[in-house]
Amino acid sequence: MNLCRGNSLRVDLTNRRINRALAPEKGIGGRTWNSLTLFEELRPGTNPLGPDNILCLSAGPLTGSELIATCRFIASARSPLTGFLGDSGARGFFAPELRWAGHDQIVFTGASDSWVYLWIDDGRVEIRDASHLAGMDITETTLRLRADLRDPDLQVAAIGPAGENLVRYAIISCNLARAAGRTGMGAVMGSKKLKAVAVRGSRPVRPADPERFRKACAQFKAAIEGHREFEPRRRYGTTRIMDSLANLGVLPAYHYRSAVFEDLHKVNAEALRRDHVVKSKSCYNCNVFCSRYNYTSYSEGEGPEYEAQAAFTVKCGNPDLELAVGVSNAVNRLGLDCISTGEVIAWLMECRHEGLITDADVDGIDLSWGSREALLRLPGLIARREGIGDLLAEGTRRAAGTFGGAARQLTAEVKGLELFSADPRGIKGYGLMNAVNSRGGDHYRGEPMIELTGDEDLAFRRVGYREAAHRLEDKGKGALVRYAELLGLLSDSMTVCKNISCCMDAMDFDLAAVAYSGLWGREVTAEELMQACEHVSQVERQFNLREGLRPEDDTLPARFIGIPIPDGPAQGTVIDIGKLVEDYYREKGWNGGVERESGGNDSDAG
Amino acid sequence: MIECNIRLCVGCRMCEVACSVFHSASVSPALSRIRVSKLEEIGLDMAVACVGCSEQPCLECPKEALLAGARGEILLDARLCDACRVCEDACPIGAVGFCDDRPLICDLCGGEPMCVAVCPTRALSCREGARDISLRAFQNFVGSPGEKRARYVRAQGEPLRASWQEGARVDS
Repeated sequence: MNLCRGNSLRVDLTNRRINRALAPEKGIGGRTWNSLTLFEELRPGTNPLGPDNILCLSAGPLTGSELIATCRFIASARSPLTGFLGDSGARGFFAPELRWAGHDQIVFTGASDSWVYLWIDDGRVEIRDASHLAGMDITETTLRLRADLRDPDLQVAAIGPAGENLVRYAIISCNLARAAGRTGMGAVMGSKKLKAVAVRGSRPVRPADPERFRKACAQFKAAIEGHREFEPRRRYGTTRIMDSLANLGVLPAYHYRSAVFEDLHKVNAEALRRDHVVKSKSCYNCNVFCSRYNYTSYSEGEGPEYEAQAAFTVKCGNPDLELAVGVSNAVNRLGLDCISTGEVIAWLMECRHEGLITDADVDGIDLSWGSREALLRLPGLIARREGIGDLLAEGTRRAAGTFGGAARQLTAEVKGLELFSADPRGIKGYGLMNAVNSRGGDHYRGEPMIELTGDEDLAFRRVGYREAAHRLEDKGKGALVRYAELLGLLSDSMTVCKNISCCMDAMDFDLAAVAYSGLWGREVTAEELMQACEHVSQVERQFNLREGLRPEDDTLPARFIGIPIPDGPAQGTVIDIGKLVEDYYREKGWNGGVERESGGNDSDAG
Repeated sequence: MIECNIRLCVGCRMCEVACSVFHSASVSPALSRIRVSKLEEIGLDMAVACVGCSEQPCLECPKEALLAGARGEILLDARLCDACRVCEDACPIGAVGFCDDRPLICDLCGGEPMCVAVCPTRALSCREGARDISLRAFQNFVGSPGEKRARYVRAQGEPLRASWQEGARVDS
């Protein structure tokens, strides 16, 4: 394989030693590098919040180049939330700066005994004291470092109080509100007493074959600008999903008890734009600039994306959008994952509604649907592990253990990772994705968007099944999810924004290969990139099996199995998740979900 | 000269990419003559390049390596420059960068500025020969170019933030 080796910075926080090495040979970049590093170096059974866990932050081979939206970094470690492979990506501007400083991957090992931050100024790398930053939220930390280092353009990835206090779904955030949100990477960073990474870079990214590379850039740009969702995404970003999901009948209203939210018009994309959005915001080098800046009587900040918007409105039965936006801003500053936080709160409200707990069980906080008190107070309690927050900081799966079996039946998580804001029963590709992917309840491994298009020709071309174009069909969903996962892994490796590369179907393996070859001046084919992704996909599965994953973990929460969607446009829909998972195993060549069948083309994993 | 409408700028930095690609065939904001100041905590983004101010303090170059071109742009005679960085210090809004011992100042790309061409929101425009903007109010601030840009953008954004306070939203 003709792949480039990235520059890897090895930071031993225990001994305060910094070395330079190369990123793993068989990876493309981003998540592929991180997953390979962890598979090779992490001892099975390592305590996720102990000093032996390894935290990797990676950019990718195209990061910081002229190619649109090559903006993400991927953080990976063993997850303290799931116990399996954890990883999450953040957009914004941190990853390009890291690349311009000459570093492609940072691997943190060990743990410091006092708070530190890593300062990277091109080739100069120092571990510095961060005791003055302890306790600060993400905004305060970022601004303080920019002031201390006298550079307002400095890029900072930081944790907030949630990460410091080892909340199992704490985030790592850059640009104040661009988060690596899922699977608790901020808690791993906190366990190492690493408060932030500050970086400044001045080294150019120069294509080896400018003509070829610029052709790929132009092709990517044209694919984006020609997409039917280009203008709506510019206007509303991900928030427009709320109306779409309502029309599909898969809104998670009142914690999945209903697919209908009567106050939808008060909390949807149009309401947000009309009442609270003051401008559009962009990540690095993006012509879609789908993010937005909000200004409310509570606070101001970037966001919310659909997930925060829905989690703190529809899912909690809250019709007050301004309150939800304020909660989104607060959660970003505290350093909590908005999806898991919203899920914890909504699940608690449902437990209270069902009479499984009372307000007295949660420090007397009013837990009725849409409770303003709960939405305003719980995030802070969780981030600081105060009172009931200490239990809720453990995530819904662990917290449910304390509240008993009936509460456990109401959780919406897979492998311990809380679900997104949609009902998996009525979008079966997404449902399957949530059941089987490497990090647990998660829609964003890849986006099986094809099932929402009805475009049978496209479905046949991409995955070989015309039926895969329809969300309620079972046939072809294994192939669709396998394909979407590989495309997602490609994006996580190239560190391109998945809202563009996957959701807008703008980057496939062919385009990625031309861009890669053009930038690096070595011939890499689409097949080689595909093989690398297949290989790492297998490695990720082996990592999880090594950590004790069983095939019966590949399923959906009990509340969705054998129970139809109760109302709305998809009323009566059920999902046969066992059948879908079998189909997926067949596509992956996983015998019973465990072993690779003989005759597979990838016998060299590990 | 390059002007940025702070109401339209979304902070994507495509202008920096285009500028550095045009001038150095590579992507490097450090080599860009236009820099986007992003005041994330107050939601302001604005690209800053030479506005062609009426004071022209950069022309105080002790080696006389800088001169104004026909369009009002500042041109560098690299043979005369000794990298003393007087121009960088003199610019009150941080529009003179420095990299590889050379000042970086907007030269309007010879007449068709790439940043204006690529700006996806048309926040950027070019007025050739304009000399009617005074930056005297910013002259006494000492700081790095980045700090000077941030201070300038903060001031430029005051009316916009006041409008938000009064209830203006993106479509109003």
